[in-house]
Amino acid sequence: MKTSAATILREYGPFPGAERVHGVTFDGRHIWFASGDRLNALDPDSGEVVRSIEVASHAGTAFDGEFLYQIAEDVIHKIDPKTGQILSTIPAPGNGGDSGLAWAEGTLWVGQHRGRRIHQIDPETGKILRTIESNRVVTGVTWVDGQLWHGTWEGDDSDVRRIDPQTGEVLERLDMPEGAGVSGLESDGGGCFFCGGGNSGKIRAVRRP
Amino acid sequence: MDSLITAAAQALASGDTLGALKRVALRDDAPALALRGIAMAQLGDLIRAKALLKSAARAFGPREAVARARCVVAEAEIALVSRDLTWPPKTLEAARKVLEAHGDRVNAAHAGNIAIRRLVLIGRLDEAEQALAALDPTPLPPTLRAAHELVAVGIAVRRLRTHAARAALDRAQLAARRADMPVLMAEVETAGHVLSMPAARMVLRGNERPLLLAEVEALFSGGTLVVDACRHVVRAAGAMVSLASRPVLFALARALAEAWPADVSRGALIARAFRGKHADESHRARLRVEIGRLRAELAGLAEVSATKRGFALCPAGAAEAAVLAPLVEGPHAAVLAFLADGEAWSSSALAIALGTSPRTVQRALDALAGEEKVQAIGRGRARRWMSPPLSSFPTILLLPGPLPSD
Repeated sequence: MKTSAATILREYGPFPGAERVHGVTFDGRHIWFASGDRLNALDPDSGEVVRSIEVASHAGTAFDGEFLYQIAEDVIHKIDPKTGQILSTIPAPGNGGDSGLAWAEGTLWVGQHRGRRIHQIDPETGKILRTIESNRVVTGVTWVDGQLWHGTWEGDDSDVRRIDPQTGEVLERLDMPEGAGVSGLESDGGGCFFCGGGNSGKIRAVRRP
Repeated sequence: MDSLITAAAQALASGDTLGALKRVALRDDAPALALRGIAMAQLGDLIRAKALLKSAARAFGPREAVARARCVVAEAEIALVSRDLTWPPKTLEAARKVLEAHGDRVNAAHAGNIAIRRLVLIGRLDEAEQALAALDPTPLPPTLRAAHELVAVGIAVRRLRTHAARAALDRAQLAARRADMPVLMAEVETAGHVLSMPAARMVLRGNERPLLLAEVEALFSGGTLVVDACRHVVRAAGAMVSLASRPVLFALARALAEAWPADVSRGALIARAFRGKHADESHRARLRVEIGRLRAELAGLAEVSATKRGFALCPAGAAEAAVLAPLVEGPHAAVLAFLADGEAWSSSALAIALGTSPRTVQRALDALAGEEKVQAIGRGRARRWMSPPLSSFPTILLLPGPLPSD
């Protein structure tokens, strides 16, 4: 396993009226982040929140190329980012113990926080297709270039790690600096991860190795 | 943090306690236990709350020292509110240090605040005052700031510094308004009553009238000789003589001050000081002795001069003499009067001060405790009695979220 210190490229926020970050995703133009009762679209260049959708947003956020998915309490809402409408709702696999959401190849991947595992589910029905065990709490999930990454955050320790999607084995680890926790994880498809910073209200861009 | 915990914490922060509880009612992981504990505390089930927070503290992992420390602080606050003073203050201090070391200044300050409230509660006002002065309230959010200022109000009131109390009350009000919590605003308003309602009665030249706390303060700092039946002391021009352990002398002083500038007959003095026994020669002799003792005690403050029919009080420097008495003087008023000083009294000390048997004092205390007018701390010989704090602490619990990533 490779271990290195995470390189923080840029910090965004905190943003007034959105004091906590519970989930992060990227639609190619904007970083969307969940702040409890709103989804906020952040312009990564200007660092400004350009719009927001009033919707319960308690944990992970994902984008499938057209729609947003957002965990609220013990369900996952599918939301049209253009109108802010909730289009459909499926049960979350962790019954509310869910944290972290990613879209990849037609399915949703949901982190189960203290359950220390990641579920792959059917985005239409919520049916669990398979489950990967991790040895740390899961606070964010993302896929990039066929790699599965997830965030962990326990007490003062937080990292972003790549795991083998078959075995759950940890392949690579980026340790976050002290005081910088990861709540919500998304890659920009290129050389960078966006990490939600929980109660710091910040979003950090971290270099992907 | 996971989804339902976030939702529950959000509900709790907005005052929706039942909503928070509903979301985590069936969960037994550490953050859920902590949230349930806080919700139960806010609903008033302190016993259940305490048990839940204790198990939450145990359930948090070794990496989650901050979350665990927050549970300990919450537990300490519940112990304080439920007047469980056996709860170890060292545990609270250890938790405070953990929070401080991890940069959680808000909760560290909250822990410090709880420690001070405990000191006030057990009547250690000097220590409480010192600790309060050492605590910087700046990092406190409005709710905790209001609680902090209410502690300052409580201390200032007991110290009879009404200006300081008023200023702290104004700050508490401002903070409560900023917090936008109606319960807290009501709490501050109630605390303010102590400044706007009569605190005692004054008898001067045969006239009686109620005094506000500020007027009591003014009375003490003026030139009047005050026989203070609330604390069983005689005060004049900054000097103070305690007659707390000399009930006969105090009864004489009070009778003389009530009559001032007139004198009081020997018969009346004997009746007041020696419990209604009719005067015979031996009582007259004893009265002379006691008046001699009173003269010695009041030396410099006042003269006690003999008149044709009895004795009269002559305050030094031609000042006036007045009596300050509690608003209500019932059967146990004397006990309450002593406890009004905010200190923690043992029942044997009260018995000495009142000149009655420990048994009588105990009966009075039990009766007063039944009416919640006094409270006991400690057990056995270490048991101490005190009046409930003049300025109450917030009854709503202001626990900050003890969650790992909160």
